[in-house]
Amino acid sequence: MNSQSRVLIRQGARELNEHEVETVTGAFRTRHTLTPCFVDSKQQFLNGDQAIGECGG
Amino acid sequence: MKIIVLAPADDNHTAPIKWGLEKAGHKVVCWAGLGWTVEQQASLSFANGDSLTLGPHSVDPGDAVWIRRPELPLPNPKTAEPDKKFAALEYRSLYHSVAYMLENFPVFCINKYSASRRIIQKSVQLHLARKCGLKIPATLMSNSPAAVRAFFARGGRTICKGFTPHVWQKEGQRTVAITETFELTGEQLPSDEVLTYAPAIYQELVPKEFDVRMVLLGGNIYSYALTNVKKALDWRQDAGLGHVVAEKIATPPDVEQGVLAFARQSGVCAGSLDFGVDAQGKWWFLEINEQGQFLWIDQFNRSARLMEKFCAFITAPEGSTEPLEARQDLFPSLQEYEELLKNEQVPPAGRPKQEDPFLSLEA
Repeated sequence: MNSQSRVLIRQGARELNEHEVETVTGAFRTRHTLTPCFVDSKQQFLNGDQAIGECGG
Repeated sequence: MKIIVLAPADDNHTAPIKWGLEKAGHKVVCWAGLGWTVEQQASLSFANGDSLTLGPHSVDPGDAVWIRRPELPLPNPKTAEPDKKFAALEYRSLYHSVAYMLENFPVFCINKYSASRRIIQKSVQLHLARKCGLKIPATLMSNSPAAVRAFFARGGRTICKGFTPHVWQKEGQRTVAITETFELTGEQLPSDEVLTYAPAIYQELVPKEFDVRMVLLGGNIYSYALTNVKKALDWRQDAGLGHVVAEKIATPPDVEQGVLAFARQSGVCAGSLDFGVDAQGKWWFLEINEQGQFLWIDQFNRSARLMEKFCAFITAPEGSTEPLEARQDLFPSLQEYEELLKNEQVPPAGRPKQEDPFLSLEA
């Protein structure tokens, strides 16, 4: 896919390699770190500062 | 008095705090959010007085309700296909009726749902912050190419960021791309067409020397300077990678007054705020997340004791002016919880059971 056809925010997104993903998710010996923004690539979810359960407008 | 947490019991902040509160003798119950199962059903009654039941738990006078991370409403999957859209809207309406009604009961809400829904809007945050005397960077939120180009034409350095975080994972791979604040010049702007693909936030780059994560708990403010050894614009991923140091820092009196005014006017009693501090020592308000993560600061700085402070806050009467430090020793630390976790003496935090709205797969 042509990167120029993607949303601007995707073009500026930070790429995390596999090692970095492991470091982020495994840094605190818990299944989920508590940091403000992290991704768990094994379980495919993001948990961060913004709640996802606020149920839309 | 009990503490009702609107989140799955295995949420990463709920699990240790529930454990800490229970260890200190408090009753804590969790309600994961509205769903079709018995545990997630809800009833609001206006027959003989007003009453609210969340799963097996009644909401009683004097309770504290922490609206932490309720899951999205989950209708019964057996609902007939032609009825699913209607059922989903009805579930959403009941959830909103419950969430907005909570603050009308004699309970301590952290936070009031009406306040959290309003303050989650970044436009409202910036407007209110400036009104309360806090310094904010010039900002444009737009999907209009003409407005975006005009904003860049004003000169000066500019950053771009999204309203919400997002992760793109390449199918079949473990590498990811995650939204992050990045610097952008007018020359780097994409075509007008691309600027309309998704709105974004364009903001004057704050010439910051370091970041501050501030935790608001009632009238108490705790600020931590985050020194990012990589000097990255956005410290969030670097925190996870261990490149950030968190040190307690005094909050300037004018900033403290501004934040307390912001809390009063927004109706928010708890939250995590981000500031950038420039070379002149000026604090620039960047954003607030009313249910932002805060326990990670205890992991970076054991003297912060935010877990104990939060436990002291949620068990105090609403509006209490007693310093949280006076009661924080009643509660165990995150470190104690982590030791138990390491030895598998407490269950680990879990994952959301529903599809993550913040993650996309890409080819």
